[in-house]
Amino acid sequence: MRNPSPLLAAALLAVTASAQTFVFRTDRWEVNDPFKMDTSVMPPKALVDPKKGIINLVRGTVERTFTQGGAEVTNTRKLSDVQQIIWPEMPRLIEARANVNRGEPAKALENVEPIINLFEPLKKVPGSLWLEATVLKLDALDRLNNDAALGGFLDALEKDEAASTPELATKIQLARLLQRSRRGEHESVIREADDLIGKMDDTEVLARLHIVKGASLMATRKYEAAMNTYLRVPVFYGTEQEQVPKAMLGAALAFRGMDGPAVREQKLEETSFRYLRDIIITYPVSKEADEARKILPKEEVAKAEAEQKKLVAAGLLPDGATIKKSAVRPEDDQSANR
Amino acid sequence: MTAPSESRTYRLAKAALLAVLVAITPAPSALRAQAAGNVVAGAKSEGDAVAELFKDAEKLFDAKKYREALEKYVEVEKKSDQAQDMYKAVISFRKGSCYYFMKDWPRTEKEFTDFLAKYPKGTEDFFDSDNRRGVAELTLIESFSSQGKWDAALTRLEKIRNSITERPEVRVNAFALSAKISVDRAKSGDEAAKKAGYSQAVTFLQQAIAEGVSTPERREAAIQLVEIYTKLGLVKEAEQLKARVDANKSGSPADLIRSNFQLLSIGDARFTSADSAVDEIARGTLYRQALASYQGTMRATAVTRDLGKGMAAKEETLEALTKANPKPNDEMKVRIEQARVDLESFKKIDAEFKANKDYDAIISYRIGLCLLELGRPWEAFVAFKDIFERSPGFTRITGAYYYYVITLRQMGRREEAQKVCKDFLKKFPKADEVSPIAIILGEISQDNEDYKEAIEHYKWARANVPNLTPDAAMEIDFRIAACLFSQYEWDEARKAFDAFSAKYERSPVRQQVLYMTALCWFYQGKYKETKEGFDKYQGEYPKGLFIPDVRYRQAIVRFGVQPPETEETIKLCEEWLKDYGADKSDEIQVQLPDVHTLVGDANIRLAEGFDKAIREADLVIRAAQSPAARAKAQEEKARLDKLKSGFTDKAIEAYITAAKLGQRNANALEFVLRELNKMLPGRGEHRRMRELYMELYNWDTKDPKALTYLYEVIRATERMGDRKEFAERSEEIQKKFSAELAKARLKVDQLERANPPVQATIDAAKGEVKALSGKLAEELAAVEKERQASIARAKDNALKILSDAVAENINDRRQEGAEKLIGFLAEKVAKKVRRVRPGAQPEPGAYTSADAEKEITRLLRLDQNKDSLVAQARGYYALGQLAVYTREPAKTELNFSKIAANYKPEELSPTILAVVGDHLLEKGDLAKADAYFAAILTVARSSEYADYGYAGQAEILLRGKKFKEAMALCDEAIEARALMSKELNIMFIRAQCLAETQKYDEAKKGFEEIAKTKEWRGEKTAGSLYWLGLIEERQGRLNEAVAFYRRCYQGWRKYEGWSAKAYLGCAKMLIKLNQRPDAKVLLTEMLSKDRIKETPEANEARKLSLSL
Repeated sequence: MRNPSPLLAAALLAVTASAQTFVFRTDRWEVNDPFKMDTSVMPPKALVDPKKGIINLVRGTVERTFTQGGAEVTNTRKLSDVQQIIWPEMPRLIEARANVNRGEPAKALENVEPIINLFEPLKKVPGSLWLEATVLKLDALDRLNNDAALGGFLDALEKDEAASTPELATKIQLARLLQRSRRGEHESVIREADDLIGKMDDTEVLARLHIVKGASLMATRKYEAAMNTYLRVPVFYGTEQEQVPKAMLGAALAFRGMDGPAVREQKLEETSFRYLRDIIITYPVSKEADEARKILPKEEVAKAEAEQKKLVAAGLLPDGATIKKSAVRPEDDQSANR
Repeated sequence: MTAPSESRTYRLAKAALLAVLVAITPAPSALRAQAAGNVVAGAKSEGDAVAELFKDAEKLFDAKKYREALEKYVEVEKKSDQAQDMYKAVISFRKGSCYYFMKDWPRTEKEFTDFLAKYPKGTEDFFDSDNRRGVAELTLIESFSSQGKWDAALTRLEKIRNSITERPEVRVNAFALSAKISVDRAKSGDEAAKKAGYSQAVTFLQQAIAEGVSTPERREAAIQLVEIYTKLGLVKEAEQLKARVDANKSGSPADLIRSNFQLLSIGDARFTSADSAVDEIARGTLYRQALASYQGTMRATAVTRDLGKGMAAKEETLEALTKANPKPNDEMKVRIEQARVDLESFKKIDAEFKANKDYDAIISYRIGLCLLELGRPWEAFVAFKDIFERSPGFTRITGAYYYYVITLRQMGRREEAQKVCKDFLKKFPKADEVSPIAIILGEISQDNEDYKEAIEHYKWARANVPNLTPDAAMEIDFRIAACLFSQYEWDEARKAFDAFSAKYERSPVRQQVLYMTALCWFYQGKYKETKEGFDKYQGEYPKGLFIPDVRYRQAIVRFGVQPPETEETIKLCEEWLKDYGADKSDEIQVQLPDVHTLVGDANIRLAEGFDKAIREADLVIRAAQSPAARAKAQEEKARLDKLKSGFTDKAIEAYITAAKLGQRNANALEFVLRELNKMLPGRGEHRRMRELYMELYNWDTKDPKALTYLYEVIRATERMGDRKEFAERSEEIQKKFSAELAKARLKVDQLERANPPVQATIDAAKGEVKALSGKLAEELAAVEKERQASIARAKDNALKILSDAVAENINDRRQEGAEKLIGFLAEKVAKKVRRVRPGAQPEPGAYTSADAEKEITRLLRLDQNKDSLVAQARGYYALGQLAVYTREPAKTELNFSKIAANYKPEELSPTILAVVGDHLLEKGDLAKADAYFAAILTVARSSEYADYGYAGQAEILLRGKKFKEAMALCDEAIEARALMSKELNIMFIRAQCLAETQKYDEAKKGFEEIAKTKEWRGEKTAGSLYWLGLIEERQGRLNEAVAFYRRCYQGWRKYEGWSAKAYLGCAKMLIKLNQRPDAKVLLTEMLSKDRIKETPEANEARKLSLSL
């Protein structure tokens, strides 16, 4: 009378889900990752395992060819028949995220667009990477500081039925807030961000909301409030590693805003430098580290970089912190916007 | 810092939650599910009556009425003598189960022992494929365990653990149960037994998870092991294992919450370990790890959300089961019941969690403490503020306030910290922290050397904080006396110390009080009482903390008494130096210069003691009639001079030693330098001066005082050129020639008086005099030439020293002292320039401003700093400054314009940003000036030039008619107390903004304030009078407007801009007042002024005049 344990069943399922798999109503197919390339040949070509399904986006199908009784048989299924997707995180998506963090938005877009296209017909299927890729695209457009492109994308997204998913709806709301912050609607952005902060419990969204709010407070010269807002990110959402350097940079600038002869005792410039050095030490290849290097005096940068090298040697930096930055493409160079 | 005790509510809530979570996790040994078998099927094989009886028993069992069920089973048993073993085994199993649920451990033990002994096949397939022997075994073990029969339990468990035929889940459970028993058994033992018990438990659990954590049983064992690791402080192992469990987690809300609480426990364990760690590095690491755990912990909203999800899922399951099985069979009944129990469990957890209001606050509290310990006060500040804003009812709120105050102090926010202290003492008068906070309230002022305020705070605390501990009250009383002492209120302080001694005879600060009491006498110059005081101290504390200082003061007393005991003073000082000279402690190092200074003072006094005798000897020399008497007196004077000189030398030596040791004793240093500045140059000891000041300068070239030292180095270096030997040689030459000249002149005189005078001889004699004079002049000129060359060399050396100093900092953008040195250098170089009238040509070979420019460029060593933007910019700045000193404004303009054209604001130092920014503003290049001022306000807000940033930007905004923004900036400057040298500008701009935004009353106040301030008399006074007129005009008060305009143009004609506006404004008012002739006269007067003719207002005035 012993029931099979659902936990055990899930664990068994996890063993079989190590490769990208489309689950149909009656069976499941492993499929090739269309972005996996064989770089040992020039030009690189797609790595295809004939036993696995090949996704055909044009026809909206997935095909699998196998040998049966000595003859090659091809089965075709519609993408719309997929009921679940099991897809371990895609290297291209990881790279796109790294691009955003390193301040290479154009590259990020280049990496993320094909993923969005691939999962477009499957966006509502559980396990689809469409949402994640779409959110990344929002981030990339935001970093590109191109309000027209971001606005257009947001308009299109809002019309999409997928926008009703709570996660995407929140991200759209967040991106809209960012846009408005850039347009100078600071008071309403602060109000709305406050309102959302009270309602959210997702730490990543909360961290982002604090950063948007901090930016608007900075723009309205409310430096103390901005500092308080920015610092909530490393204090309470310290696990959101992608957001922490942004918040630390904001806090460092807020400290500079708070500084003045009457508050010398607070050593705010020194505090600001400390946060900037921390960014260089802990997030050396981030966009914020580049900013910090520009703001800090040379000797402070040298000090931070020496410290950073020590930490790298001791293996004390978080994963991904020292990923080498690729050369900045002209389209990624945002220096003219500053 | 001691770990603050965790809120009890928080602990209980956490424990309850964990307990319930453990209970609801599906456990394979649950008797409940297995005890409900296919009753009817079994019973039907017996007689109907027995079957019915069994059915009733099962129903009661199902309804958890174990006592009643047991009675029925006993009855069935009695009627089933002849039944098969399988049925007897079922009855026995049920009976055992009833005992178990009734917690009747002895009977449980007996029943299951019998069951296992009598029925080797157990219940066979009566219930299902499981014959229940395994469960019976585990239940029996649990009954042993519950009765403290540890060995019996472990023996039985060992059998299961080692049985290769046993099912894996049962074996894993046996390991887990063995671990539990080991821990339970150890609980009542001593420390060694506990350690052994935990160690055994760890071994069992490690065996349980040896083949992974992929099954629920193994995960359960792993979770148990994480908890034991955490308890044992093996946090790293706990975290690693937890990560493995998390990687295999089911994703169920229950798992998530459980994982969350384990993370919290790991954080707590790390925090506790950090608190007790001795090694600083280890402490830091542990606090960082604890912080990471707390930061990863879910906040209340997320826990509530997951609990909500869990409940919803359970409700859904229950509803689905109920709907799908309107008439459930027994198996379904069990499943429905299980679903109901699970749901109830979740509801209970949810209710308990919601009842716990401290959850979020405790996480913020711990995060704040970790950050404070890690030296990140600004982040700690945010964490503590979160508690006050979101969890004001936190049970440890007073502790949070205490650490918040500490955080504010670390941030340098003294006033805010004191405000929080005072509010706290009023709001929480009974809190445990009132005593430390009451002390901190005054201590903040005391540390800031505002003793008056500190006394006020301490007295306020004594009067208004009723729950001070006796120790705190005593400390505050002592601090009040100490503050009076620090305020130099010696009499008051002494009385306070006396009162303190009388009130607290055995206080821990008695030694200090005795010492300070004597010091009070000392500073009042009452040496008799001082000596008594110090004697008392030395008597009571011969090896006391303050003995070195007391001995030094005793020496001063000897120096100060009448008659003075100077030799005794030197002796005491020498003994002091012998005893403590090699001591490297801070106190001694600070006192060393004082003692050397005293030695110097004593020697000066001894030297001065010879003055009277020397004067007398001098008088004797002058009055001496005979050469012998004169010689004797001279000999005596020489002896006395030598003796005096010996003491003076010793004094100088002592002062120099004091100065060289005086880096940390500013008072002694200042005193001895003053004395040495008087003594050394007078003795021509410029080299010694230079060496001394060079040493002082090299202490810290970035110190603000370093500039003063450098100045002395340069002065001494320059003076070194004019060596004493030149004067001596000149004197020698003059002496040598004066005798010869006197002789030659006497000869001329005698020849002229001769009768008859012989002109030729006279002329020859005169020629000789002339020749001698010429020779004298020649020799003197040679010495002078040498002297001038030496001076020039010395000046070059001085410039080189200055150049070295500038070159040291020229690359450092933040070194504000660099521009000061550049200014100093420019001034020195400019002095060498021989100025000529405009248009005139300089003499050939004269040092021109072009030479000065070349020299300053060379001295700044700009060619060595070609890559440094700020160094190159400083080069232009230096040339601009040089032109200021050589009065060549066009060159200043040119060089400042080069800076503006070639450098981005962020590449420049605050001084250059300010000076060039102002220059650009004056020239009307607003865009560039704005960038410069903006840079000051972003990169150099705390510099001495912040006021330039505010004033400059506000001026630009005003010119752009952005009055509100300009006023906001002025207000920001006032709030930030960044007015400094631009106070007048900022106040003037602010008043203009107020006037432009029709806030006339406030604007009027602002202008009146400027107009009446004597120190501000000048251009802004003129401007204020004009604006006051304009304000009256805009409000229709024409006569008042005329009065102000008149005051402006009559009193401030030299400021043609304002006086032109005032003239025109006044004329317009007169026209409005129908005084056209007067207006005409006024305009004529206005246009007759040369300074006004070219102003824009003059054009308008001409037109207006024609219309009249």
